[in-house]
Amino acid sequence: MVDPSLAESKAQANSQIPGEAGIWAFVAGDLLVFSVFFILIALGQKEQADIFNASRETLNLHFGIANTLLLLTGSLFVAIGVERCRDSHNATDNRWFLLAMGCGVGFVINKVFEWSAKIETGLLPVTNDFYMYFFVFTGIHLLHVFVGLGVLTFLFQISRRANLSSRNFLALESGAIFWHLVDLLWILLFALLYLL
Amino acid sequence: MNETALASAGSDELFRKTLAFCGYTGYAAIILFIIGGVWLGGMLPALPHANDLPSEVVGKVSENLFEIRIGSIFMIASFALFGTFGAGMAMQTRRCETNPGFSYVQVVFASAGTTIALLVAFAWALMVFRPEIYHPSILLMWADFAYFLALFSVPLFGGWCVTIALPIFLAEEGKEPFPRWAAYVNLWAVLLFAPGQMVMFFKDGPFSWHGVVAMWIPFVAFFVWIAVMSFLMVKIANAEDN
Repeated sequence: MVDPSLAESKAQANSQIPGEAGIWAFVAGDLLVFSVFFILIALGQKEQADIFNASRETLNLHFGIANTLLLLTGSLFVAIGVERCRDSHNATDNRWFLLAMGCGVGFVINKVFEWSAKIETGLLPVTNDFYMYFFVFTGIHLLHVFVGLGVLTFLFQISRRANLSSRNFLALESGAIFWHLVDLLWILLFALLYLL
Repeated sequence: MNETALASAGSDELFRKTLAFCGYTGYAAIILFIIGGVWLGGMLPALPHANDLPSEVVGKVSENLFEIRIGSIFMIASFALFGTFGAGMAMQTRRCETNPGFSYVQVVFASAGTTIALLVAFAWALMVFRPEIYHPSILLMWADFAYFLALFSVPLFGGWCVTIALPIFLAEEGKEPFPRWAAYVNLWAVLLFAPGQMVMFFKDGPFSWHGVVAMWIPFVAFFVWIAVMSFLMVKIANAEDN
């Protein structure tokens, strides 16, 4: 059920940016910092091309592709969940956020397997600069995924409510934007670490 | 800004002035650190490096002995002001609570954070106290100690930011102690402090205590955070004055 204030916010949706203004400041700030990470990877690639290319060959592309698909699918579920909450909210909308959480958990499990395989073969952050960047930057991204799972849990709780206020809906949009940020950061890391 | 807080505090002139004072001490802390830590003291950028030999640290410190000593005095003055800066945010949070909660937790974090920050300046000052007598490795240890205090203490400073963000998010609409975007800035700061923990594992490169990721990003984020929260405290105080 949608309350009148939500209907009003829907009417304004086309003329406003989604989510709270603060979440966009957060996204911009985080992208700025990750830009530094991307520059470091690019500089490493330029200065140590042989080491970086050889190390990249030892990465299992299947893990990277699986993680990309998991996050993209998770983002799709979140987008559908927000859309459903906005257009015709009912108590079953929460399943979309549950599915997105499943994708996030799948990402974490996949990452554990990938890291374990690397560590077992003696490839560690101290092996070379490529693996230092690989473990640290994907680790920082993994921290974002954990925060994102917390955010999705919050969205799941909100979407279970029978009535959504405009503030609830703003929280849904802001949380979804954060999850899309996690997705975007991974795609950029995936391209730089696995595909370059 | 929440109108409830503005209206209720309009009659409390002393509170308004105190809040403005606390905000301005945040600005002062930044200026003093720029003089002491950046210009004179050699803390940012790091004069010694994590991968320096002890003899190299002695050389760098000895060549800049006077500047680092004066810089340490400015730095300890800067870090002492974290207390007033933190108290201001706790005050503003407290006035929006019916019963004290997050404001008390903030006071604990602010006190601990100020203590840790003061120890950074102590370590930096002791590094240049009598370097001609200390064994060279002791100088390196003081530098390690200073940067570990500043960067490895992520849970403390991160926790402080979280306890500022949570009461903003959890407050009833219109009763937030700070604007909601400030909560996002605080959470953003937490994420930027996090790479500081990398200093434990690396002695060279961007994740060491002189590197761009482990030192520059957390340091810059920390002082940007102080600037933003100071700006808000002064703005709230000025709004209430009007």
